[in-house]
Amino acid sequence: MATVEAEATRTETVPLITSKTVIRAVEALVGAIVFVVLIQYVLRFSLFDPDLWSGATLRQANYWPRFVDGTKTSLFYISLTLPISVAIGFFLGWARVARFKAFSWPVAVYVDFFRGVPPLVIIIFASLLGPKLLPPRFITPDTPLLMGALALAMHSGAYQAEIFRAGFQSVSRGQLEAAQALGMRPGQAMQSVVLPQALRLSLPPLGNEFAVLIKDTSLLYVIGAFDLFGWSLLTGQTIAIDVGRLELLFTMWTSVALVYFVLTFAVTRVMLLVERRFHARGLEALSI
Amino acid sequence: MIQVEGVHKSFGALHVLRGINLDVSRGEVLVVIGPSGSGKSTLLRCINLLVEPDAGKVYIEGVQVNRPEIRPEWVRQQVGMVFQSFNLFTHMTALENVMLGPLKVKGIARETAEQKAKALLARVGLAAKANAYPAELSGGQQQRVAIARALAMDPKAILFDEPTSALDPEYIREVLDVMTALAREGMTMIVVTHEMGFASGVANRVVFMDAGVILEEGHPEEVFSHPKHERTRAFVGKILR
Repeated sequence: MATVEAEATRTETVPLITSKTVIRAVEALVGAIVFVVLIQYVLRFSLFDPDLWSGATLRQANYWPRFVDGTKTSLFYISLTLPISVAIGFFLGWARVARFKAFSWPVAVYVDFFRGVPPLVIIIFASLLGPKLLPPRFITPDTPLLMGALALAMHSGAYQAEIFRAGFQSVSRGQLEAAQALGMRPGQAMQSVVLPQALRLSLPPLGNEFAVLIKDTSLLYVIGAFDLFGWSLLTGQTIAIDVGRLELLFTMWTSVALVYFVLTFAVTRVMLLVERRFHARGLEALSI
Repeated sequence: MIQVEGVHKSFGALHVLRGINLDVSRGEVLVVIGPSGSGKSTLLRCINLLVEPDAGKVYIEGVQVNRPEIRPEWVRQQVGMVFQSFNLFTHMTALENVMLGPLKVKGIARETAEQKAKALLARVGLAAKANAYPAELSGGQQQRVAIARALAMDPKAILFDEPTSALDPEYIREVLDVMTALAREGMTMIVVTHEMGFASGVANRVVFMDAGVILEEGHPEEVFSHPKHERTRAFVGKILR
């Protein structure tokens, strides 16, 4: 009897990283490598072509420092827009369902606007608008770029607002009532009962949206961002027009694609781990 | 223990409660019956202020609680509630469900709260299910966890809002048994239910509500066997058949 009791009340924790997780990740990366090796063979280029990376052929257009600097800049824009977009999405999604209704329709207008206009247009518009809106002493050469990045975050935030709204609305009224009936204050009920359940359902589409946003930071090239995409576009023109070595374009763009792939892959894997953290037994989806 | 005086409540044009007076003493088990839409649930919700009465007074232990100076959260700590649809927190185990109130609302240490929650789960016969999630439990088991969750706050009274109406027939007994044991231990209970067996065996008093008023009240025997009012007779006739 005592052992049965001990067995039953043992606190179970789901391990976040299992051997299965690791195997899946390794499988995906091996798959990517096999794919790259194959297209190198089919398209007759080498990912490690020294003519691109060392810059001997390209004279001024030395790609390696551009690749490194561009990747850093991309990481900067991602780490800037991602948190801002989540914050916007979370609070706007909440505003849509809050008891206080005054914000609901302005948020609806916001969402419709940012979903209805192409991100490129919003980015260009914001970069032009920023220097006009801000007082001159706050304006630096980077202002148009930062405004563009903010616009991109607001664009993604509109999509995320809908994701969070759906998450909040999926929590039944009874859950909140049960929390209230225990004597919880609204903040406690939100934190302990509503939010964990809303997040459980919001996380998968949120991971999807993050993957989109990571790649959409490349759109900032239109307002002159020298991120990975911006530098590569410039280098590509040199390769195509000045040098005429078209196979080097394959080398370069495959490398660019790999960087975006690794970044997206890493972030979506982290989201999977967070999803597991919110897992509730008995609520698994059907295996069809 | 709980007094309700002249309580009115409307939702829009719908006048749900039309002047309710009720006095429940300590240790009393009061069963509320009545057709659907008669305002039984709303009455319970007015007592723990999940719904704020439009007019009238609600007293808990002689203190009027529907006043702006009194936090509804404080009132709900005194009076627990068990819902028709259980409303267990789906993202938590049974144990965590029972622990949450003491932990977050009362600020009790985790070890103490856990000990107590385990004892309460044992009391409702679910010690072995402490680590099960609500979705892994039957309806009857979920409702027993919900009762343990309400008990964990050491309430002075518990409101039951049709606790067995959402259950498959085979699970009703186990929930009623837990409630009966609770009543025998002296818990003050207001129970909205159509379980006539429970009402006649356990209740001290039965109240019949219709269209927002209390039409008739008395000892279960009296209300069921010799209903005074025509509509009580019609209703009792329907549910006893």
